[in-house]
Formats: sequence, C-alpha cells, structure tokens
Amino acid sequence: MTSTVPVIRLENVTTAYEGADRPTLTGISLTIGKGEFVVVGGPNGAGKTTLLETINGMLPITQGNAVVCGQDVRGDGIHVRCRVGYLLQNFSFNPLTPFTVGEVVLMGRFGMIGLFRKPGIEDHDAVRRALSLLGIEDLATRPIGQLSGGQQQKVLLAQNLARDPDILLLDEPFSNLDMFARESINALLSSLVASGVTVVIVSHAFDDLPDHPVRVVVMHDGRISLDRECYPAEVGRVIRNAGSVPRDA
Amino acid sequence: MQGVYRGMLEFLIGNTIVCNAVEAMLFASVACAVLGVIITQVQISSIGFTMAHAAFAGAAVGMFLSVNATVTAIIAGVLVAFLIGPLSEKARVSPDTALGLLFGVSMAVAIFFIAYMQTLGRGFSAMGLLFGDVISLYREEITLLALISVVAVVFVVVLYKEITGIIFNRRIAESVGIRVKPVYYAMLFVIALTVALCLPIIGGLLIYVWLVTPAAIALQFCYRLSSMFIMAPVVAAIISISGALAGLEYSLPVAPLTAVLFSVVFIAAVFLSPKRRVTSRKS
Repeated sequence: MTSTVPVIRLENVTTAYEGADRPTLTGISLTIGKGEFVVVGGPNGAGKTTLLETINGMLPITQGNAVVCGQDVRGDGIHVRCRVGYLLQNFSFNPLTPFTVGEVVLMGRFGMIGLFRKPGIEDHDAVRRALSLLGIEDLATRPIGQLSGGQQQKVLLAQNLARDPDILLLDEPFSNLDMFARESINALLSSLVASGVTVVIVSHAFDDLPDHPVRVVVMHDGRISLDRECYPAEVGRVIRNAGSVPRDA
Repeated sequence: MQGVYRGMLEFLIGNTIVCNAVEAMLFASVACAVLGVIITQVQISSIGFTMAHAAFAGAAVGMFLSVNATVTAIIAGVLVAFLIGPLSEKARVSPDTALGLLFGVSMAVAIFFIAYMQTLGRGFSAMGLLFGDVISLYREEITLLALISVVAVVFVVVLYKEITGIIFNRRIAESVGIRVKPVYYAMLFVIALTVALCLPIIGGLLIYVWLVTPAAIALQFCYRLSSMFIMAPVVAAIISISGALAGLEYSLPVAPLTAVLFSVVFIAAVFLSPKRRVTSRKS
C-alpha cells in the first residue's frame, strides 16, 4: 500500500490554536505517501481534526516542519490548499442560503483560479465532472439549502473533487449519508486512491471503509499513539486496543 | 465650481435642491445596499452596526474640532473595524462582547460631543449627524457619494468570487485556498468608507436601515447571491428616491421618512416572499 513518494511529511510538528494555553498537537511526525488510504482514529478532542487542518495549513504550526505536495505549509498554506481537498465535518445550510449546488461546487476552484480572475470553461467542466462523479448532476441548479443533509454532504465532497486534488482530507465524510450513499462514496474513494490520490479520513464509521488494507493512525491527547496497516474489518478493534477509544464509543 | 457643475439628473429634475437630494439618496442607497448584501450574508451585522456608530462618533468629534467630519468618521469607522479582533483577543472576551464595548464607547463619545455642541449653540449641524440632511449638500459631497457607489460596485465585481466564498462560509473559503483575511479586511474598509460618506445624508441613527433592509428585502425573493446584488440596490434606489421626493414635496424629514418606507416594504416583502410560502407548506 505505502507509496515511496511522500506527499505529506510532518516532522516534529506542534500546533496551537490562537490564544490557547497549550498546544493541540505536540511533536507529530508522520509521512504519508501518494495514493495511500489513511484512517485517523481516536477519542473526541484527541486532535484528529487539528491534524487535518495542520496538514492543509489552516492552523499555525508553532514548531517543526510540514511539507505537503512538495510545498512548505508554513510559508505557502494557500498554495497547499489549492491542491488539497478538505471536507469539514458537520455542515448544514439553512433554506435561505442563496447559493445553488453548481455555484457551491465551483467555489472549490476559486483558490486555484486566483485573485481578479474569472472562472473559465475548464473550471465549469471540472464542476460537471465532480457532480457526475457523485451522481448529483441533476441537483446543479437547486439551492443548496433545500437539499437533505446527505445531499449537502455530497455537494461539499464534489466541491473538493472539483479542483482535482492530490490529497483528500475528509472529516467524518459518512455522517448524514444513507447506506447506499456510503457505499457509492466508498467506491469513489477506492477509485481515487487507485488513481494516485491520497485519502486521509477521520471517521468513527469503520464499517464503511474500502475493502482493502488501510493505514490506521490513532491520535491520543494531541499525539500519535499508533500507526500501522490493517484490514478494514480490524480497524475498530485496532483503535480500541490502542487504548484511545472508550468501549462504549 | 458649484455654478459650473451640473447634476447628473438635472435634465429630469429642474429644482437644484431636489436634484441634489435625489442624487445623494440614489448614490448612498446603491453603495449601502450593495455592501449591505455582504454585511447581512457574512453575518457581520453587529460589526457593521458598531462601525456605523463609530463613524458617527468620529464625525461628531470632527465637527466639534472643526476639522473635516468625513475624514474623522472614516478614521473612526476603520479603527473600530481593525480593533475588534485584537481587543477580543487581548481582553479574552468574545468578539460579540468586544463589539458591545466599542459600540457603547462610540455612542457615548457621539452623544457627549453632540450634547456639548448644543450647549455651545452648534446644535443644528450636530442634529444633522443624527438624522441626516439632504438639503444642504455641496456638489463635491454628491460627487464623492457617486464615487463611493462606483467603488462599492467595482469592489464587488472585481472580488466577486472571493466575496461569495466568504459569504458561503469563511472556513470553507479558507480551505479552498481563498485569501480570506485580506479580502475580509478590504470589505470592512470599504464599508467604513461608505458609512462615513453617507452619514451626512442619512444620519448616524438611521444608516443601518440602508445597510441592512435592502438586502433583507432581496433575500425574501432571491435564491442566488448574484440576484441579491442586483435586486438590493435597485430596491434601495427606488425607495430612497421615492422617500426623497415625497419628503421634499410635503416638507417631511427625508431620511426618517425613507427609513419608514424601507420598513414597510420589508414587511410587505416578508408576506409576499415565495420562500416563506414554501417554508410554510413544509411546516
């Protein structure tokens, strides 16, 4: 599974939120290769989301080095984010949100288009491709606020796919999705990994992982407590055995 | 200069005072409505509210010191916009509390200087700051208003995709690689500039109506942000011009009358909104 080409390299990284008394991540060292599928587990507050936001440069790194897609995250977070898709967790939009699905997906390319430039034909083509990958082309002109939670989740995933990312960071991507949608997203993620996209996923839904060995990284109190490869059926047990997930979780 | 310069609408409105008033209301309403869409959709209404009152305080101080009140209003508005973040961080209070503090200080400063000017016999000009005055405007002021309405529109057109990203969700905008901070601060700067320039016409107590109501009306009918950016200024211009004409015709205070008109149209829009009908059916 592990590729020889690293696309994410964190060396002794410490991250702290603005104004926080203590760092959220401490001394994280992690190398992830091209086309790897990594599951990040751990209890609430362990630093899983923080790890994702550190990788894409949304949080300030106070110590250590982070190189993603060959670029220093500390110096060039914006450019890193143009190549890294990041699906944030728990988003829902109210019915008055004045954006159609097509507009929301197009936003995924705004960073790479750059300031003072308008979206071109290739951007609109990428939007169509992303909508088609998720099977939601027919929703393109619908206001996002009028969709179900699961449909909104798919739209946000399409937004990330629209910029043909090298890395996909997914925070609880299966929340709000029904069984059929989970299966189709799983198949999509597997095909993306096969095409060389690196997928890092934070999830508690271990039943919905692709049907091939995955790498599991367990976080605990802002540190990595376990990093190993295993079969999808073992993921839940491996994380529990790492002593980081309570039995009732 | 004043004798040479002709109003843009003088071919339609013969009376110079009425023409000036209509032009001033037109430009102010377009600028405020366009930026109002941003204010309401980014949900920074409380920032806009506080900035408007800080500009009001700045204008009062400027008037008291007999310096250019517009310049002091701009300085105060921008200063407050840039103080919110550091204040909430250093004082370890929420941005909302920081806004409350700055709003309170702004109002206190404004009321203090206006009251003091009244005791000095300069109450008339001070009252203009509170409720606006469309009668005694100089051509230069109207030209400045025309300029700021162009600036507001150009700002939105040029940075449209960044603005839409930030309006949709700031964190998502950041995650897709939009330069959120500089665009956000540019927004605040243009809002402060607009508020400061519109204060003499609309007044510190009423300007918020121009900033929020047109966008709120447009939101009742528009499913797309682009439509809101068109509908809000059109509605604001129609209501403002109607208010100016009616106010001058019947010798009523123009800005308060127009503010009431805005509110009436908003209430009507809520009842006529197709979105409201859909929501009612769902529930």
